[in-house]
Order: sequence, then C-alpha cells, then structure tokens
Amino acid sequence: MAEWQDPHKLTEGEFLDQVHSFEFWFGTVEGYLHDRPYGFDAETEEIEMDDRRKDGLITTLCNYCIGETAALEASSGMIAFAPDRASKIFLSTQVADEGRHLEVLLHRLSMLGVRDPEREIEARANKSLLRFKERLLEFVDSRDWEAAVFAQNVILESLEFTVFRTHAQNADPITKQILQGIVIDERRHMGFGENDLGRRLILAPHTHDRLDRIKRELDSLVLTTFKQTLGELGLEGDEAPDLASDYLGAVARLGF
Amino acid sequence: MNDTLINQPAGEDRPRQMYVLEETGFKEVPKKFRRFYRKWGGPSDTLAPNEVLCPVCKIVIRSLQELRVGDKVYCMPCMSRLIVQEEGGRLVARVNY
Repeated sequence: MAEWQDPHKLTEGEFLDQVHSFEFWFGTVEGYLHDRPYGFDAETEEIEMDDRRKDGLITTLCNYCIGETAALEASSGMIAFAPDRASKIFLSTQVADEGRHLEVLLHRLSMLGVRDPEREIEARANKSLLRFKERLLEFVDSRDWEAAVFAQNVILESLEFTVFRTHAQNADPITKQILQGIVIDERRHMGFGENDLGRRLILAPHTHDRLDRIKRELDSLVLTTFKQTLGELGLEGDEAPDLASDYLGAVARLGF
Repeated sequence: MNDTLINQPAGEDRPRQMYVLEETGFKEVPKKFRRFYRKWGGPSDTLAPNEVLCPVCKIVIRSLQELRVGDKVYCMPCMSRLIVQEEGGRLVARVNY
C-alpha cells in the first residue's frame, strides 16, 4: 500500500465517501488521541489553582457538559432522519465524539474535586444554554433536518470551536490538552454542517428565510452563554476574543 | 513551508512548479493524507505557492503543485471542497458547496 495518497485527486463523490466514513474517523482520531487516556498525556502534572480560578473552571466545564450533552442527544436522534447513508455514518462518528467529550469533561470535573457532577451541572447551568438545548431537541423531535443541522452543527459547533480554542490558550496544562482534542473533533462537525446546508440552500433556496428566523432566535442564546463563560474564566475586556468570528464567517458563507 | 521544489522554469506560460511534500507533524487526518495539510501559524504565516488557507477551519491545505486560480482542493479536516480564487493579489480558497 502506498505511503501517501493525494486527496486532491479524489473525485467529489470519493472525497465525501472518504470523509464521512468510520475508516477516516479511526485513522484521524488515532493521530491525536492515542496514548491520551481521558484526552491528555498522563504524565502531565496538575498545577496549583486558587479557589476562585478553580470555581470558575468548574462552572465553565459544567456548561461545556451541557453543550456536549445537547450535541450527543441531538446527533444520535438525527441519525434516524438523516437524508442518506453517508450522513448517518458520519453522525454515528459524531455521536462517538460527543460521548467522548462528555466523558473527558466529567473526568476533569472529578479531578477538580467535583463529587456529584449531575448536581453540580444542574446548579451551575446557564439558562440561555438550557433554552438552546431545549430548542435544538425540539427540532430533532420534529425530524426537521435543516433546522437541527443549522442549530447543532453550525451555531453550536462553530461557537464551541472558537470558545474551546480560546479557552485552551489560557487553560491549565491538563484542561488545555483536553480542549485541544475536542477542537479537532469540532472541525469535522462544523464542516459537515456548513457543507451539508450549503448544498441544501443551493437546491432549495426557500429554506433560507426559515433558517434565518432560527438563526435570529438561537445565536444570541449561545453567544450570551459563551460571553458569560469567558467572564468565568477571567477573559473579559481587552483580553476577550471575538467569539462570533468563526460563526459569523460560516453564516456569511451560507448567505445569511 | 519549504517543500522541495522540483522545477522552476521562467515565463508567464511556464508549467507549474512541482513540490515534494514532507510531513509537517499534522496528525488530524489519516496517515496517508497528513503531508497535504499543516497547522496555520496565524496572520504572520507566509503561505507557499502550493498552499492555501481553508476559510472554514483555518488549516493550511498543501498541494503537489503550485496552485492557480480555478484549482479545486479538498480540506479533509473539515470536509470542505474548495476552489482557489484571487483576492487582493493573493490566492484564497472559497468553499464550493
């Protein structure tokens, strides 16, 4: 077997079959998760954190758990009404990713001394994020593919991509590695969403207005949540990054 | 990146420059595709003539040949199909849904 293969020589059909496959997923995650139990190198040492910093991190991770649980429940539900088999296979890899994200975040919470994560997550939950999750799962329950892909893979995933990447730059060494692994997964999820919706909007431009209404309803919920997240992490004022940049870039490319 | 340049003839109608791609340490796609991508170093990162930045996920896409307007390339890390275009005198990638 050849040592390497030029991806740009693939036909579009071959490319989509390749990137939606479990084979591709296995070969990909092996590169950055091998020998990293719970998402980080076991040799990494915990640093000292004062109580305020630790409490802010716990609140942040609790809300990440809500976002990941929303994506886990939504992506698994979407398999049943995905429009084709390649999308069903891709979503099954996303389910595995989201389940892993939830597991590593819960493990990190336990490392930080959280004994009852369910209760802690409920106590620290951001109301805007809970409302977002509720609406996302309503789209899934009503088998509304475009709305579910837009809410989950475009709005939620692109904002998580930016927030996790930003947080990783300022995080303690263990949380940093965990988040970096999640960010790599999020690339696939948001790319899947943008490309799927991009194709659909060309074929059915009338869906644009409906998705625009959903966008106006939901994006502020997620933005509000993650702005508060940055506050918990002490990244406010001049230090605060433009959280919406990746998200706004994606929706602009889609014509919103 | 400084991949090995195989040829570099002069003139506007010159054939494309060809490159031998080396591994870049990028591990976010299966092994056989890894040399075709690399991490982006931010705005100060100068792209080579065989490279273009994915606008969706900000990974640098690399080709065996010098890229030109109209070329199609794939970003495997985010599953995007892209077309190379010129913008402000430099090559950029646009998503082709």
